[in-house]
Amino acid sequence: MELKYAFFPGCSLHASAEEYRMSCDRISEVLGIDLVELDDWNCCSSIDAVYAYNPEFSIFLSARNLSIAEKMGMDLVTLCSACFFTLSRANRLLSEDKRLRNNVDKALKSIGLKYDGKVKVRHYLDVLINDVGLSRVSENVKSPLKGLKVASYYGCLLIRPPEITGFDDPEHPRSMDDIVRALGADSVDYIDRIRCCGASLMVTKENVAMEMTKNILLNAKDAGADCIITPCPMCHFNLDARQHDIESRYGVEINLPVLYFTQLIGLAYSLEPEKLGLNRNCVSVEDLLKKLKST
Amino acid sequence: MKSLEFKVTPEVRDDSFVKEIAKMRGGENVLDCIQCGVCSGSCHARFAMDYTPMQIIKMIHLGLKEKVLSSRTIWICASCYACATRCPRNIDIPLLMSALKQMSMKSASVSEGEVKARFHKDFTEIIRKYGRIYEPELKMRLISKTDLGEIYRNTLLALRLWRRGKIKVHPVRIKGIEDLSRIFESSLKEG
Repeated sequence: MELKYAFFPGCSLHASAEEYRMSCDRISEVLGIDLVELDDWNCCSSIDAVYAYNPEFSIFLSARNLSIAEKMGMDLVTLCSACFFTLSRANRLLSEDKRLRNNVDKALKSIGLKYDGKVKVRHYLDVLINDVGLSRVSENVKSPLKGLKVASYYGCLLIRPPEITGFDDPEHPRSMDDIVRALGADSVDYIDRIRCCGASLMVTKENVAMEMTKNILLNAKDAGADCIITPCPMCHFNLDARQHDIESRYGVEINLPVLYFTQLIGLAYSLEPEKLGLNRNCVSVEDLLKKLKST
Repeated sequence: MKSLEFKVTPEVRDDSFVKEIAKMRGGENVLDCIQCGVCSGSCHARFAMDYTPMQIIKMIHLGLKEKVLSSRTIWICASCYACATRCPRNIDIPLLMSALKQMSMKSASVSEGEVKARFHKDFTEIIRKYGRIYEPELKMRLISKTDLGEIYRNTLLALRLWRRGKIKVHPVRIKGIEDLSRIFESSLKEG
């Protein structure tokens, strides 16, 4: 099976989440996954950020990307849960709503594009689990992450709603836990693994988002996790970049490293931490790296 | 959380409200709600809402348009789909909340201080300008100019992000930006 995909990075991967892209590229090299970036892609329209203001324009934004991917003739892969959901939902709405479909078709035509609804939107995690396979993920492990306790944080739109996302169980997801175990680490169970981190509120309702994120961090910490892994740049921003603000706001010490699942895989593949962008994570990963070296 | 203690008098009821909503995407199944409360029980943001999602739907049934469109709840929903995934009546609650936000923004119900209403508009305008989001500009547009705590926290955050190379100095503008702007203009007229 040729592992070649149209790749939609999404806006965060070019800014706050460059390390997600870096680590994904490194492990893709190891696993023989070829990601071909969409030419001149635009914002997916980000859940309901554009939709609530102008629904039709938001679906057009998704459709422009889908149309570019359709020309490439490959599945469309993204690393961001929000892009994954938004682009999949556009696919669904376009197939269900004829009026919307007509209007979007017209708009695409006016800029020389068309979309026949044939693109399958997928998350990179789905590719690892279902195309690459856990055995191949595990075969490439050079330094098993023995003794490392990892809390997988799934959040929201990677797994919900199942009719749009579909590759993992919406209530009891396991894809990342399976990867954690395939890397030789221990998967930690804790109650907040599928609770929303409030990412879409972080710009406008900081206090609400921080309350939501705090609970996830504290519960993962209480469960004995050495780190959290996430599949989404939005969750990562809340859990990692804002962890310091949460500590000062609530007067607690958390100090829990938050890695992209691709960074964790990279560590088990003995890739250089710098090449995985681990120096870009806000919460220091030094203690974590030391712990790995000592085992 | 408020309880539904207000009086539902004929004067406050707008019977066309539920019909209007049922026509919007997300509102299709709103009349099927059996008030089981699984949405409210699943909501991770309900602590910050004035009415639970279940109460909002009941209020729609009762025609309490003004109360619904001026509620805090519709702006707090984070679209995480915990509710809709479990709803036994197939109500797409996050999309319903989006429909209510649209109505609220179009009517005069939205309070001036509601920063989330500005968020949707500013976010869309930035996409129209560049084709991709540029977070520093979005944050600068939305940050409270009077809340010193927020300004202080965000300045420190920006420095922290800067040191890690997480802030780009310039926004990226896509090649097809003219196309995007034109479509935006025409979809506004029709919408």
